[in-house]
Amino acid sequence: MKIRSYIIVLFLIGFQLKCFAQEQKMSESEISAFKQSVVAISKKIKTLSTDFVQYKHLDFLSKDIETSGKMIFKEPNSLLWQYKKPYNYSIVFKNGKILINDEGKKSAVDIGNSKLFGKINKLIVGSVSGDLFDDKEFSISYFKIKDQNSARFIPKDATLKKYIKQIELTFDKEDATVVQVKLLESSADYTRIVLKNKVINAKVDEASFAN
Amino acid sequence: MKLLLRISIFLVFVLCSCSTNKVLQDYTSVPLEKKIFEVPYFSNPAMDYVYKANITVYGHELTGIFIAKKINDTTHRVVFTTEFGNKLMDFEISEDNFKVNSIVSELDRKILINTLEEDFRLLLKKEYLVQKQFENESDNIYKSADGNRDNYLFYSKKNHQLEKIVRSSKTKEKFMLIFITENNIFAERVQIIHQNIKLKIDLNYFKSE
Repeated sequence: MKIRSYIIVLFLIGFQLKCFAQEQKMSESEISAFKQSVVAISKKIKTLSTDFVQYKHLDFLSKDIETSGKMIFKEPNSLLWQYKKPYNYSIVFKNGKILINDEGKKSAVDIGNSKLFGKINKLIVGSVSGDLFDDKEFSISYFKIKDQNSARFIPKDATLKKYIKQIELTFDKEDATVVQVKLLESSADYTRIVLKNKVINAKVDEASFAN
Repeated sequence: MKLLLRISIFLVFVLCSCSTNKVLQDYTSVPLEKKIFEVPYFSNPAMDYVYKANITVYGHELTGIFIAKKINDTTHRVVFTTEFGNKLMDFEISEDNFKVNSIVSELDRKILINTLEEDFRLLLKKEYLVQKQFENESDNIYKSADGNRDNYLFYSKKNHQLEKIVRSSKTKEKFMLIFITENNIFAERVQIIHQNIKLKIDLNYFKSE
């Protein structure tokens, strides 16, 4: 019995060590190099389109809720977020307006200079391009994993904080682009968005944002 | 002017007391076949009930994802999120308990929460004690008393399934649930339609791959 307990304890310690080994805090010089490379890439982005799969994790459910679709961004601030499975729902942010198309049913909201929506827009684009490094808006910490980097953003704005506890962006180490966005609502519930088939600076038709 | 007001109040009073319950027009009373009616649509604890939700309230449209799960013998967890996954409300609900785990401040209105509590409790209720039974050509109707309300369960004779529940006061309908089901185990589509307030909730089951 005792031996079994030792084995379990050793296993747990080993497991923890492994966790630590997988994720390390970046040093100051690593942080600055990492930020530079991400900002350099995101500055070059005129258009961006990507497929995504969204996993909504709620602790009490037996499996994550999966939805998927496509996202298109065009400078300076046109953004399409389109779900294709299991339903058709798309939302466009463009010229101070939000256009929604819910299975063909269209509606529009004039957001004008709404501070919150401005922040949400910046947040989505920033999340996908990676450039969220605004110390005024977020407390940021940086980590490195085997072939990935990650940055964790805790909102400072009280309104934003009500909806999002933390944003975690995972970057591919090679090309410094975002591969995963994780939005934490609490320790147990989060939304994880995996980006795939990313295309940067391909020609994007303005009609994509007509919705 | 005062007299006119008095007359109108009197008339309103008289007309209200004269009205009878309209739920059961054109139905005939029949002997009771069973004392308990079981509704299967949200009763399986192994299942995540996930629906696309469209809520229309006084002309405003709110869309998102409705999630219900039976977490123990008596209680369901009910969560409503946006399409992006942000939680808008999170409730725990049983026959005699209701707990708000979280709700965004924009929706934190007593009248809305009370309405949803009554709606969801009826939606998730598994067992109804039946006191009276009626029928017409298309349906068997089971009447189940619930405090100062009555629930009427409409069981289609043709499709052999529960298709509608009407919740009513002694005098008028409050709201109804309409179920569309293919297999009689869970509902592909549910509509919650209110009569006295302009509120409609439309739930469409999430088809996974």
